[in-house]
Order: sequence, then structure tokens, then C-alpha cells
Amino acid sequence: MPDLVNMSSTPRQAFFGYWQKVTLILLCVTMACFYWADTEIIALEPWSELQRIGLGFLAPDFLATEYLLEAVWQTVSFALLGVAAGLLFGAPVALFYNKPVVAAACAFIRSIHELFWALLFLQVFGLSPLTGVLAIALPYGATFARVFSDILQQAPIYTLQNIPANTDKVSRYIYGRFAHVMNEIKAYVRYRFECALRSSAILGFVGMPTLGFYLESAFRQGHYHQGAALLILFIIMIGSIPFWCRAKLLPLYFIAALWLLPELTTIDGSLVWRFLSDDILPPMFQSHSMDLLLDDRWQLFAKWFYNIVTEQALPGMLATVLLAVAALGFSYLLALLMTTFSFKPLTGTFIARINNFILLILRSVPEYIFAYIFMLLLGPSMLPAIIALAIHNGALVAYLTGRQSTTTSFSRHFNGKIDGYAYDILPRIYPNMMALLFYRFEVILRETAILGMLGVATLGFYIDSNFSEIRFNGALVLIGATALLNILIDIASRRLLVNASLSHKPC
Amino acid sequence: MLDISDLSLSFGDKQALDSISLSITSGEKIAIIGSSGSGKSTLISYIYDQLQGSAAYCSQQQGLVESLSVFHNIYMGALGRNSAVYNLFNLAFPFKKPLLEVTAIANSLELDCPISQAVSQLSGGQRQRTAVGRALYQDMPMFIGDEPFSALDPVMGKRLINLVLQQHQTVIMVLHDMDMALQYFDRVIGLRDGRKCIDTDAAALSAEMLQAFYEDSTHFIGASIEPAEIA
Repeated sequence: MPDLVNMSSTPRQAFFGYWQKVTLILLCVTMACFYWADTEIIALEPWSELQRIGLGFLAPDFLATEYLLEAVWQTVSFALLGVAAGLLFGAPVALFYNKPVVAAACAFIRSIHELFWALLFLQVFGLSPLTGVLAIALPYGATFARVFSDILQQAPIYTLQNIPANTDKVSRYIYGRFAHVMNEIKAYVRYRFECALRSSAILGFVGMPTLGFYLESAFRQGHYHQGAALLILFIIMIGSIPFWCRAKLLPLYFIAALWLLPELTTIDGSLVWRFLSDDILPPMFQSHSMDLLLDDRWQLFAKWFYNIVTEQALPGMLATVLLAVAALGFSYLLALLMTTFSFKPLTGTFIARINNFILLILRSVPEYIFAYIFMLLLGPSMLPAIIALAIHNGALVAYLTGRQSTTTSFSRHFNGKIDGYAYDILPRIYPNMMALLFYRFEVILRETAILGMLGVATLGFYIDSNFSEIRFNGALVLIGATALLNILIDIASRRLLVNASLSHKPC
Repeated sequence: MLDISDLSLSFGDKQALDSISLSITSGEKIAIIGSSGSGKSTLISYIYDQLQGSAAYCSQQQGLVESLSVFHNIYMGALGRNSAVYNLFNLAFPFKKPLLEVTAIANSLELDCPISQAVSQLSGGQRQRTAVGRALYQDMPMFIGDEPFSALDPVMGKRLINLVLQQHQTVIMVLHDMDMALQYFDRVIGLRDGRKCIDTDAAALSAEMLQAFYEDSTHFIGASIEPAEIA
């Protein structure tokens, strides 16, 4: 038969598929970034500190925190109101997301981390709940716009052909497109609410009265019994979302959140105006340097700008990218490992359960805490940050992929061993896992912001130092640089992912 | 009612329809037959595009919304009759009137599942009847269907074809069951490789002639049975 002759002359590399290439490239790039990143281990004698942390977790002290209930409630309330406001803003925008201007504006808003939005709004509104809610609502709304528009694009078009020709536009859209993806959108909003709880807690790091505020001060002051209790509480809060976050209860929570909102502090108009018209201007344009000549001002400005770009923005960008890519590669390895462990027919109920419990803990703990602990262990370098990001994101991707693998139908020949898994299950879930992982890259990039606050010299580090030195002008330039970096990567990833209807590529 | 003259359509390199001319008058019952890839679906969707305002369409892909109930999917046939606000309310809280009407349609289609059931849980035959139900509920003078009964057993298929024929003045349907085409339709159009080979009164055609038509058109491809027919 002529076919046989053809087969035997097929070159080996013809079997080297799209995902194998992508994986190989990812691993190579990761190695390179890891090589160039600062990953020196500085042994610090961490054991006594670690021992105290361990003791803290063995005997968590739930009563040490004053205002504990208020902190929990504030965390939930900011998350709830933030997501609701984000939906109000993001859902309508999703309909216009195909316009490049809208997409660019959303990418810009999204690229600035909640923490930086909070730092900005803090200058304007002070410690008002408005700061917390807006800091979540803006980036979340912009994310909703993008994801909803992506999801809606995937809705099958056949329904539109079959409904009566004279149907009005709204009904056409709602029944013909939205109804197809309603469940997906609901699931996504639910998932984002979990993220919002984490974001809301983290806003405590800049002074908002949420769990993170108490968590950070407890860890920083070495009150590990208290810190451990807060962390455990936080994990329970995230893990029990399915039990307390019921659709029927949502209106109740919502009303309570509005009702119990801390009083809006009166906003001092003159302060807001000063911030917008003077504080954020470069120093040579501010009112205290009125006596400078215009030419001198521009010259000084050029020098000032050059210094910020070369001394802070560019090194910060480089560190951010190195850190993020290295973290992406390690997230991949962890996700692959833990997805495999979470597949019950392979590992058995017991191991799969334990694995899922570990996944819950790993994805609930804010990266900040991991980074802190690893920094004690390994000394101040990028390594703790890389490990922290990899653990958190790898666990999240593994959790989402693992959920998919439980519903994936596999052939009856599955032998229950690792080779059977690699042939039968992995090829079915791999495209989705990779897609999730690449979507996470944008998130990882943003999360480097928080690690900057711990002292890893990413863009976040420079922004944080500018804010704490009350140099809003410099912070603004760096925030712009962050946004630029994120937008560039967003464009690149869109080219890579969306065009090539990703999940249908063969492995 | 509709005149098509010298229509050719192609997708990329593939010629789907090759200079087709035909005219359709109101009241006709037309069956379109042909082997896989002969251009039946392309022709029928072209015909629907021309007659949109007065025809209900039941495409091969069905276009059902998996997450919605049988009721809501059938109700979609009435979207054009009602206002957007009414449609939206009905999505959340079904109104009594459409509930009664859709129940009647579901019964006439012998749908043996609760109409509150999500379409994603239906069998192939139930899905097809839901799609037909949506077309029936449009209440149009004309029915255009692309193999709407292919997943049903022949006995039920015949009962439902009768139902569709009774409720519509004009019916144009792609079929792969030759007996049905001869028994229930008064005009048969046969396509082969995008060209119209048969266009005649059903009475003038015998089962043997049709058999010959199919064998002619398939013997180039080499395979004589298509998978759909085994299923």
C-alpha cells in the first residue's frame, strides 16, 4: 500500500506539535531569565524566626486582634462593592471592546495594580471607603470588559440564524448570544469575587482597614500567633465562599455593605485640587519654583525625566520582566505537577483530596506572605519572589485545570497509570492549562507590584518608594511605565493567543 | 414568490453551487435531496436569506442555547412578536401565556421531558424536536428546514413531517430519506456537485430513479454509505 511508504518517510519532527514547541520555548526562556535574575541565596540564620512562625501556626491567637470582625466585614464589603461597581462599569464597556481605543483604555486601567490605584486615591479621598471600592472597581471593571468580550465572542452564531428575522436587537443579543455564555460569565464573576477578597485584604497593606492591615502589622512586628490566626481566618473565608456566598444572600450582603459602610470622610476640595494641579507636576513646574525661567524649566524637566527613566523605570522594567517570566516558567512546572496529582482516577481519592486541600491553601495565601517567609529563609533576592509567585499562580492554574479534568471524559481504556494519563487525559486538558497560564502572565506581571513593596527592585518597588517620599510626580511617571509595559505584553499575548483559537490547537 | 436564476456560490476553492436556476411559488411542498457535499445546505440557507421575513428556519446546526430550558429555546420563536422588555422578563420569570402555548407545541412534538429541563441534558432526538418546536412557534406561513428530522426514528419522523406540513402553507426541506421525499412532498429537487440534476413533480419520480441518482453521484467518491446514514 502506498500509504505505508509515506508513513515511514515522515520526518520525526513532524510529530513535534504546537504545544510541545510552546512548552520548550517557555522552559528555555525561563532558564535564561532565571540565570540573569538575582537569585543568590544569602543564608541568614533564619531558623529562630522560622521556628517562631511555626509556633505561631501551632498556637494561633484569634483574640489578639482588636476589631477583628470589623476587619473581616470590611474585607468582604470592599470586595462586594468593588466587584459590583466593576460590573456596572465593565459589562456595558464589553460591548464596545472591539474598538481599539476602548481596548487600549481598558488595558491601561487594568495594568495599574489595585495597590497603586489605592495609593493614588488615598491622596485624593484619604482613608475613605471610596478609596477601597474604587481601587478594586476600576481594574476589575476593565478586566470584566475584556473577559466578557472574549467570552461573548466564543458564543456560537447558529442561534442568530434560527431566530425570527424581525426580532429586536436587545432580545436578539440576550437570547442569541448572552444566553449561551451566561453560566460562564456567572462562574467568572464568582471567581473574580474570590480574587476581589484577596485584593481587598491586600489593600490593608497601604492602610485600608481590611484584614491585610492587621496581617501585615502582625507579621512585621513578629506577632506570629496573631498573624497565623489572621491568615487561617483568611483562608477559611476564601475556602468557604461556596457556603456563605449564595446567590439568594447576595442582595442582603449588598444592602448590608452599603448600610454599614464607614462614614465617607468629607473630601477637602482644595487638597484634591492641589494634588491634581500641583503635587503631581514635575518639581520644576510646581508652584514653589515659580521664579524659574521657562527654558530652564524645560531643561530641568528633561534632566529629571531622563534620570527617572534610566535610574528607575528601565532597571525596574527589566527586573519586572525577568521576575515575571521566571515565575511563569515555575508556575507551569508546579501547575503540571499538581494537576496530575489532583486527577483522582490516577492518584486515588486520598492523595487527590490532600492535593486539593493544599491547592486551596496555596492559592488563598497572598503571595506577599509566601514571599515574606521565603525571604527569611533565602535572604533578600528575587528568588523568594519567584517562588512565591510560582506557588500562588501554579496552584491557581492547577485548581482550575483540575476542575476541568474531573469533567473530562476519557476513554475506557485508561489504565490508571501515568502513561495512560499522559496519553489520555493530559492532551485534553493541556491546551486549556496553557491558555490559563498565559492569561496569568498578565496577572503575574501586576503582582510583581506587591513584591516590590517587600524590597524586590521591580517597578513596584520604585513606585512605592516614590509614594513614601511624597514624590507623586515620579510615581506617576513610573506608573505610566508600568502601564506601557503591560499594554505591550497584552498586545503580544493577544496576537499569540486569541488569533489562533488556542484551545483547539493539537498538542 | 422566489426566482433564482443562474446562482453560483463558492467557499474558497470549493464550488458549492453551480449556476442554479429555480422558482418557487407559494403553497409548494419541496424536498431537496442529494448526497453529502452536494450543496443542499448552501442552497437552503440561501433560499432562507431571500425569504427571511415570512419563513421559519430550522438549520442543521440547530443553534440551541445549551444552558437555557426547552421552554426558553422554543420561546425564541416568538422573540420577533414581542417587545424586548417582555422577552427579558420572560427570560427570568416565564409568562403564563407562552408557557401554555409552548407546552402545547412540546406535546404535539411528543417531547417526553419537562419543558423546564436544560437543553444540554437532552438526547439527540429531543434536541431536534426542540429546534423544530422553535420554528413552529414562529407561526410563519413558510417552513424552511435542513434535515430537521434526521435523528428521529422513521415512524415519528413521518408523524412530525405531517405536523409541519399541516401548519405551513409552503414547506422547503432538505431530506435524506427518499421515501419521505416521495410520499409527502409534491416537488423534488436533486443536487449533485452543486448542480441541479432533478427538478420535477414527486409523482413523476420512482424510488428506482432516485436510487440511480444517488448511485451516480456517489460512485465518484468511492464510498457508497455515508456515516450519517449508518447512525
